[in-house]
Amino acid sequence: MANVFLDGLTKKFTGMAAVDDLRLEIKDGEFVSLLGPSGCGKTTTLRLVAGFLQPDAGEIRVNDKVISSASILIPPERRNMSMIFQSYAIWPHMTVFQNVAYGLKFKKLASREVDEKTERLLRVVHLDALKARYPAELSGGQQQRVALARALVVEPQILLLDEPLSNLDANLREEMRFEIRRLHEEFGITTIYVTHDQAEAMVTSDRIVVLNKGRMVQVGTPSEIFDQPRTRFVAEFIGKTNILSGRLQDGNAVSLAPDLQIRVSEGSRSSTSGDAFVCIRPHNFLLTAEESEARKLASQGFNLFSGVLERRIYFGDAVDYMMGLSVPPLSLRIVAPPSRQFDKGQRVFALVHPQQCVIVGDD
Amino acid sequence: MPASQTETIGKIGTRSWSTPWLKDPTLPVWIGVTVFLVFLMLFPLGSIFHASLWDETGFSLGRYLEVFTNAAFLKAIWNTVVISFWVGVISVVIGALLAWLVTRTDLPWKKPIRALVMASFVTPPFLGAFAWTLLAGPNAGTLNKLYRSITGSEDALFNVFTMPGLIFVMALYSFPYVFSMVANVCELISSDLEDAAEILGANKWQTAWTVTMPLALPALIGGFILAFLHSLSLFGAPAILGLPAGIHTVTTQIWALFQYPPRLDMAAAFSVPLLLATMVLIAVQKKILGRRGFSTVGGKGGQKRLIRFGWGRVPVLLLVLGVLSLSVFLPYWILLKAALSTAWAMPLTWDNFTLKNFSFAFFEYGDTQRAIFNTFKLGILTATIGTLLATLIAYITNRNLFRGARYLSFFALAPLVIPGIVLAVGLFIAYTRPPLVLYGTIWILFVAYLTKEMPIGFSQAESTFKSIHPELEDASRIIGANRLISLKDVTAPLARSGLIAAWSFIFIGVIRELSASILLFAPASKVVSVVIFDLKEEGQVGVISVLGILLLVASFAVILAMQWFAGRDVVATRE
Repeated sequence: MANVFLDGLTKKFTGMAAVDDLRLEIKDGEFVSLLGPSGCGKTTTLRLVAGFLQPDAGEIRVNDKVISSASILIPPERRNMSMIFQSYAIWPHMTVFQNVAYGLKFKKLASREVDEKTERLLRVVHLDALKARYPAELSGGQQQRVALARALVVEPQILLLDEPLSNLDANLREEMRFEIRRLHEEFGITTIYVTHDQAEAMVTSDRIVVLNKGRMVQVGTPSEIFDQPRTRFVAEFIGKTNILSGRLQDGNAVSLAPDLQIRVSEGSRSSTSGDAFVCIRPHNFLLTAEESEARKLASQGFNLFSGVLERRIYFGDAVDYMMGLSVPPLSLRIVAPPSRQFDKGQRVFALVHPQQCVIVGDD
Repeated sequence: MPASQTETIGKIGTRSWSTPWLKDPTLPVWIGVTVFLVFLMLFPLGSIFHASLWDETGFSLGRYLEVFTNAAFLKAIWNTVVISFWVGVISVVIGALLAWLVTRTDLPWKKPIRALVMASFVTPPFLGAFAWTLLAGPNAGTLNKLYRSITGSEDALFNVFTMPGLIFVMALYSFPYVFSMVANVCELISSDLEDAAEILGANKWQTAWTVTMPLALPALIGGFILAFLHSLSLFGAPAILGLPAGIHTVTTQIWALFQYPPRLDMAAAFSVPLLLATMVLIAVQKKILGRRGFSTVGGKGGQKRLIRFGWGRVPVLLLVLGVLSLSVFLPYWILLKAALSTAWAMPLTWDNFTLKNFSFAFFEYGDTQRAIFNTFKLGILTATIGTLLATLIAYITNRNLFRGARYLSFFALAPLVIPGIVLAVGLFIAYTRPPLVLYGTIWILFVAYLTKEMPIGFSQAESTFKSIHPELEDASRIIGANRLISLKDVTAPLARSGLIAAWSFIFIGVIRELSASILLFAPASKVVSVVIFDLKEEGQVGVISVLGILLLVASFAVILAMQWFAGRDVVATRE
């Protein structure tokens, strides 16, 4: 049972704040991802939690006890945590079994118990047949499973993962995402997961924390983060997006150009006037070439854009268009299902529901 | 988290020490090592500058003035420059050619050739010089006698006691430095780069000249400087070959200043130009090797295709073996012959055969017995303590255990720019007076060797730690192992082969050391290299050969053992 509270956590490297006043509460058994581009401070945060780094200000508390602050630092080995590293950090001079069993050495268990626990974990990660192998004889995915087993066998209160999948190839990465989520559901360990891959964060996490330049930008469930990004940075970092700039008008409307006004989602506006950015996801558009259909949907409240398709890329499961609007230089990126295909140069209408037009902050 | 785990928290005082290791019980070890290293490096160097500038009468630049006005000193400097320059040139020609042949062509017997280059590298230059006095001395030299018996001429074919002779012999034992640098680069140059030239119409010689050569150029210049520096700091070969002909170099001149009546202050002043020249050349070499053009050669190397000689392979191979016979086969053969015969210049017949030299060196002559004991004692002691120290320093710099830890590597590498004889001058001045009187014991030799071998030990240990990802250690800490247990269970086993290599390099470096030992030995602390040098005066050819063979056998045994334990190729991993 462990909840983690990062309270005003700050870490500076040569005067620059790598982690800046981070405040985050992680509930017991929760799976939280720290998501952001490289250099955003996510790995530093994780190493602060692990105790490899000491904060310059703020505290880390586990179950209301301070484990890290500017004056207190419990060493990593006494934190009852486990960590999975980007490089896997599997010890090449030990067999799979020895790697996994290593952590139990410090638990004062009978050797029979050590063997039993190790065997059980090896079965859980499907490595029982390879336990006598050395890491050099394993594939990348198998090494990753050794790392998972080694981290889980000590029954940690908190599990830390530092970009654990970034060295795997695409197929394996997808498989391991589900594997990590499955293991989380099986063991229920409080987990902090660092990644720059939004898809990984989406699949595995209960909540996602988006970081940029050492600061927390947004915290929320995967769908909150994706559907209601609060800033331009979040919108652009997570998934493909169109960002349109305009001016706020009355009644949830934003004017993009003199003749082009759209209605936006109600909850998203924070002020009543001034400049605003509107985020619209490319796959939320409905594309049609028939004016009557377009007019009908527009009358039901959909925002309507018209223009000419300037680019068309076929992806098999979707088609990616670039549509030049009648008011240049505006253009929209639209991803549509391949069931209805349009040609380059064709005049089309794009419709989008106001609920999917979200105002985002300019940061 | 249980309450007991938070009770052991310590408080940390000043912020500058706010690293996680503060409560680490091993901290005194790290600090002690740091202080020791800095002292080890700064004390002798400071002593040299002090002795060259101050005496009883106070501060004076007079000694430096004398260095640059005394005709004998100037002549020695000039000789050194000329010799080192030609040694550099010849080393580049031989070393680069062999490196290219071994890495980029279909020349057969590549492994034996590499092994022979390594043998040249391991052979102490003073031993090679000694062997060449037997081979090419003007009167009794075996090769000259052979020449006279074939041609009927009265003259010598080649007199080794001349400037060209000295340059020739020194180049034979300097070219491996160029070889290993160029071979490393040649292995990294991908054939793609050469293919790109060939697809545009260049033939293979044009390609070699316009693509491969320019890419290897920084290594060639770097190798030249390394060979130049090597010959600059050599003492044994110029003393054995140059002094009989009245040729002084800077190192032999410094040695002469130590003979009766000793002029320590002048030796110190004369050391400084050598020290500065070395520093400048190392800086130049670093700059050249660090340039952008060189780094594009780095990386994975990619595919390599070999240039085909076809039928031309046989003459090329003979040429290569001819060169290597000059540095290895002929000297080894003459040493072995001299060791096994009563009269070394006579043919090795049953009448002339004897084991007397061996029994004399090992069992009868007290001087050699004690020297052998001292040499191996110092070799093992220095290698063990040196490896330990280098490991600790490399660990500190690599894991950045405290603020400014990186700068420690500067101190560990400093002896690279200190020629052995200069170091000896510094140590002599530093440790012959209180508070630390080490002169007269083997401990001053120990300190000299420890200092001199620190760079090789440190760079071995450093590259070893660099290759061990810090996360491997983090991984054991986070699941319950403290810093020391992590070191023992994870880092040490992984560093094993690198540390064995460091030990071996230091050991081999120590047992062949002459240029520092020659100034620091006392009657009770003679080592094998010094005894060889002394016995030369007495013309004890057989005993010298026995001792030389002993050094060679010990070196090769250590290398073989290292390759056995650590699975390493020595020439390939040398930097």
